[in-house]
Amino acid sequence: MTDTYLNLVNSGVTKKIAKQLGLPQPTPLRRHRPGAPLVDGPVLVLGRDGDGDALAAVLSGPAGGAPGATVLDGWDLEVHRHAHPDTRYAAVVLVLTGVTHPDQLAEPVLAAAGTLKGLARGGRVVTVSREAGVDDAPALAAARQGVDGLLRSLAKELRGGATGNGVVLREGVPVTAPSVLGALRFFLSARSAFVDGQLLTVASDAGALPASWETPLDGRVAVVTGAARGIGKAIAQTLARDGATVVAVDVPAAGEQLAAVANEIHGTALQLDVTADDAGARILAHALQRHGRLDVVVHNAGITRDKLLANMTPDKWESVLAVNIASQLRINEALLTSGDFADAPRIVSLASTSGIAGNRGQTNYAASKGGVIGMVRATAPLLVPFGGTANAVAPGFIETEMTARIPAVTRQVARRLNSLQQGGLPVDVAEAVAFLASPAAGGVVGETLRVCGQNLVGR
Amino acid sequence: MAPSPRKTPADTPTTPGTRRALVLGGNRIPFARAGGAYAHASNQDMLTAALDGLVARYGLQGERIGEVAAGAVLKHSRDFNLTREAVLGSALAPTTPAYDVQQACATGLESVVGLANKIRLGQLDSGIAGGVDTTSDAPIAVSDRLRRTLLDLSRARSVGQRLAVASRIRPKDLAPAAPRTDEPRTGLSMGEHQALTTAQWGITREAQDEVAFASHQRLAAAWADGFFDDLVTPFRGQTTDGNLRADTSLEKLAKLKPVFGLGLDTPATMTAGNSTPLTDGASTVLLGSDEWAAAHDLTPLAVVVDAEAAAVDFVHGVDGLLMAPVFAVPRLLARNGLTLDDLDYVEIHEAFASTVLTTLAAWESAQFGKERLGLDGAFGSVDRARLNVHGSSLAAGHPFAATGGRIVATISKELHRRQQAEGRPVRALVSVCAAGGLGLTAILEAA
Amino acid sequence: MTTVVLPAVPSLGGLYARGAAATGRLAVARRVGRAPTDLPDVVHEVRGVRADADHLTEYQHLVGESASDRLPAGFVHVLAFPVAFAVMVRPDFPLPLLGLVHVANRVTQHAPVGLGDALDVRAWAEGLRPHRAGTTVDLVAEVRVGDALVWRGVSTYLAKGVRLAGRPTDEGARSDFVAPQPTGRWRLAADTGRRYAAVSGDHNPIHLSAVSAKALGFPRAIAHGMYTAARALADVGASRGDAFTWSVEFAKPALLPGTVTVRVAPDGDGSTTFAGWDARTGKPYLTGTVVPL
Repeated sequence: MTDTYLNLVNSGVTKKIAKQLGLPQPTPLRRHRPGAPLVDGPVLVLGRDGDGDALAAVLSGPAGGAPGATVLDGWDLEVHRHAHPDTRYAAVVLVLTGVTHPDQLAEPVLAAAGTLKGLARGGRVVTVSREAGVDDAPALAAARQGVDGLLRSLAKELRGGATGNGVVLREGVPVTAPSVLGALRFFLSARSAFVDGQLLTVASDAGALPASWETPLDGRVAVVTGAARGIGKAIAQTLARDGATVVAVDVPAAGEQLAAVANEIHGTALQLDVTADDAGARILAHALQRHGRLDVVVHNAGITRDKLLANMTPDKWESVLAVNIASQLRINEALLTSGDFADAPRIVSLASTSGIAGNRGQTNYAASKGGVIGMVRATAPLLVPFGGTANAVAPGFIETEMTARIPAVTRQVARRLNSLQQGGLPVDVAEAVAFLASPAAGGVVGETLRVCGQNLVGR
Repeated sequence: MAPSPRKTPADTPTTPGTRRALVLGGNRIPFARAGGAYAHASNQDMLTAALDGLVARYGLQGERIGEVAAGAVLKHSRDFNLTREAVLGSALAPTTPAYDVQQACATGLESVVGLANKIRLGQLDSGIAGGVDTTSDAPIAVSDRLRRTLLDLSRARSVGQRLAVASRIRPKDLAPAAPRTDEPRTGLSMGEHQALTTAQWGITREAQDEVAFASHQRLAAAWADGFFDDLVTPFRGQTTDGNLRADTSLEKLAKLKPVFGLGLDTPATMTAGNSTPLTDGASTVLLGSDEWAAAHDLTPLAVVVDAEAAAVDFVHGVDGLLMAPVFAVPRLLARNGLTLDDLDYVEIHEAFASTVLTTLAAWESAQFGKERLGLDGAFGSVDRARLNVHGSSLAAGHPFAATGGRIVATISKELHRRQQAEGRPVRALVSVCAAGGLGLTAILEAA
Repeated sequence: MTTVVLPAVPSLGGLYARGAAATGRLAVARRVGRAPTDLPDVVHEVRGVRADADHLTEYQHLVGESASDRLPAGFVHVLAFPVAFAVMVRPDFPLPLLGLVHVANRVTQHAPVGLGDALDVRAWAEGLRPHRAGTTVDLVAEVRVGDALVWRGVSTYLAKGVRLAGRPTDEGARSDFVAPQPTGRWRLAADTGRRYAAVSGDHNPIHLSAVSAKALGFPRAIAHGMYTAARALADVGASRGDAFTWSVEFAKPALLPGTVTVRVAPDGDGSTTFAGWDARTGKPYLTGTVVPL
């Protein structure tokens, strides 16, 4: 599962050769380490209005909260409100919530442009804008939608492991809403290493800022299905790292690896086939009995049975749909009707870029993963009344045992087909899941967040 | 003087002044046929895996358990502290004490009983009982003569003495000595002993094959129902019991050639199908007090009510080698004011199909009841529907010391399930025969 | 009766050599009609015999006894028998040593004998009598600790084909043996004879190797009868008590290596009957009883 190419082009002689040949130059990505600073260097906050000032105040405020401050703790960053010449910025935040006409984009965007060549390795560009709506004045909608195109293109221009992502606020959501800050912080941080070119919509000011940004899941009980290996294992580890008590679920046959995961993260192992009729009840019973509550369910268990549709067999179609989507629907129904999954609950499902852009040979898989995207969109409103959310994460090319089985050449090509020119790691998916599971993401409802390094295909 | 208000044990599962010892759960690795998936795994490896699965299921990482007691029947000399070593290699707190237990095939059940008694006394709040055995990685020793010579050699002081001692070594002394499972005092294997008992009680081949068939059917059904999902954690790619033959039939069993009792006057009836094969595996049982269970959010499954051991003089042919439980159970039930009819489940370890059948036959014999058990007549009969309801050793296999833990964990879950369903007290008898003419029996009640 | 006090228990090895020579002399004497026809009127005696702890342990482990400080009845036989044997190699002993077959043995243990006890051993021959297959004689040994008789052993030997005056009794007539339900099995290794020879001192070549046994007319080496009898006694276990009689008849030699199927079972009256036989043919090797006094 190591990306030999990535290692070669970043070391010694082979690095030079690769450069001369004009080969892709992927950069090792900065990833989260507990206790590490949010960003490595000054942050430029552009946007000359109240929202820009408000965000700059949060970013620069003292970590313990300003003396006398009652609302927000600051992030204790070095914040510049104007681009200083010859400064190597770790991040640029473009606050564009106030634009009402495309003409107004020029000033902040061009101000940012001057900093990009000097952007630090693993740098961040984050836009904060408002969602364009059908009721908007045409010029307003144009300005807002323009940000979308701007960000996606900018992300493709960034190099050196830098990413560009945007937070999109629905009308009426204040710029300091928990989920805006949560999303902004996630995009600035190393946790979003493989998230690139994505715009995440914050629908409301629901959610809550965590007592600790290091362990936002303190006191929360999370269930992760398919937790014995790969992405599921990384999700279990990451949720535990963020403070959650984790119930690790996988099929009985994977029990040995599952037990190892549970023991490593001090959680509990629950051997369970998610397609069982009573899977939801058993998950809930285990969580309540052993841990007193259930707050987060991560539907990660999934299988592939690839076949061109022309050659598809009923068992290949049915088993993929049964595991990847039908089980999630049944478990969610059991949880939602129980009354015991009601304290700001979080459902996070694993979708796939195949479910968005399609993939040859994966009609069954893509149907199930497209289904997941639809499911979370429709499930989220059911959870909103008690502060809950349902969202999905759509991984692109992730270095796992599963992708290691792809033929070598195909695998090399697949890895490079994104702005970061490399495959992601399971932990990159897990970080996105952990963010969506966090209290701060309460205003993100029914979204599908891609973790794909801005794959060339799809949205 | 007024009669003391002491309750009989039948009224209350614990003796006054003591507290309840609860079965809180269990975990085992699937049992594998000898030379199979665990061919290169040691006892310590398997016991550690079983412990780690238990820890993972119940979230006991870093927990200091009161005591872990386990053992193996076939043990390497290097495993002198087997259980403690397994604890140190597990996810339990390294400050968890441990000790080894050995009572042949009753090791697992004796570990449960011993720890339960300590919990009842208030000496422990929690405990993990277990057992493990491998016939694939069995200890091979040097021959007795070579061993003694080598020991003498190490004690020799001068070169001359050493040469003199060394000259005693003969080429044939170098041949390794595999452990024998024959009874040391009779030289007969367990199967040969049971063949004598089988013949004595006139147990038919058909009856034995039916017991074996039912064992496979019931174990297969339990696996298919997911009953073992929270009792077993896979190991080394083995995900179900390797000996289980879900597709066996009475016809297939009838085709097998007898392997024991070939030299007797009566037709030999014991085959590889109605005898347990050599098996590798490990099991654990989590025990605790009510307080400990509550503090750890664990659901009590069963209460360890009482236990009784017995032994028979098989050396002089007074009773069959594996018939000790026949004597233990009447004593155990009488002490608790119970009869066989008061038991909802009867778990009789299937060392051989005929072990179960000779046990039942002895209990059903009026003559045996009068002459040997000191009763007015037959002890009683066991409803077959209550016997080994989820299969037993014939299907699951029998890694000697691991069998007790398998049975206790399985039946404790079943007791809890049944009580939840019916809301009434539910009771089980567990009976394990063992080498040396030993037998250990226990009563469990749904908690 | 004359009493010959020997300075120590003689070595059986030396006695065998003397016995072989005596056998030759006896054959010559018989041909010329000058052979003795009566038993010598003599008692051999050795005083202050003590067991050696290591020797005792070797014996106990070999026959399946626990290594206690109490001498097994068979071990006392090992200590005392050479004294009786010395009688058999006397020039005036009427039967040839070579070819004598041990057909029965009866030991009465009156009281336990301890490791530290000083044993006074007296031995003589008696009961010379005709047998349907030749002539038998009893070699008697008595062991005293102080004044107390603690052990008495009678070993009956058959000199096949030797006819002395008198009519054969029914003694030793083959009773029909029916193999009972076994309680155990002895697997006798090829070196069983050599190992028992090492602790008993009985290095009779018929027990030592196939080659030496063949020279004396056996297909392979055979187990010492007293070894099998001692194993049976060990199998009886603690129920034999402190005082008992231990009787055994040897029917057929057990070839080495070999398997002896055995039954050692209480009779219900406190005594124990034992038998060892060939499971394949049903023919017995030994039968006997242990009866508490």
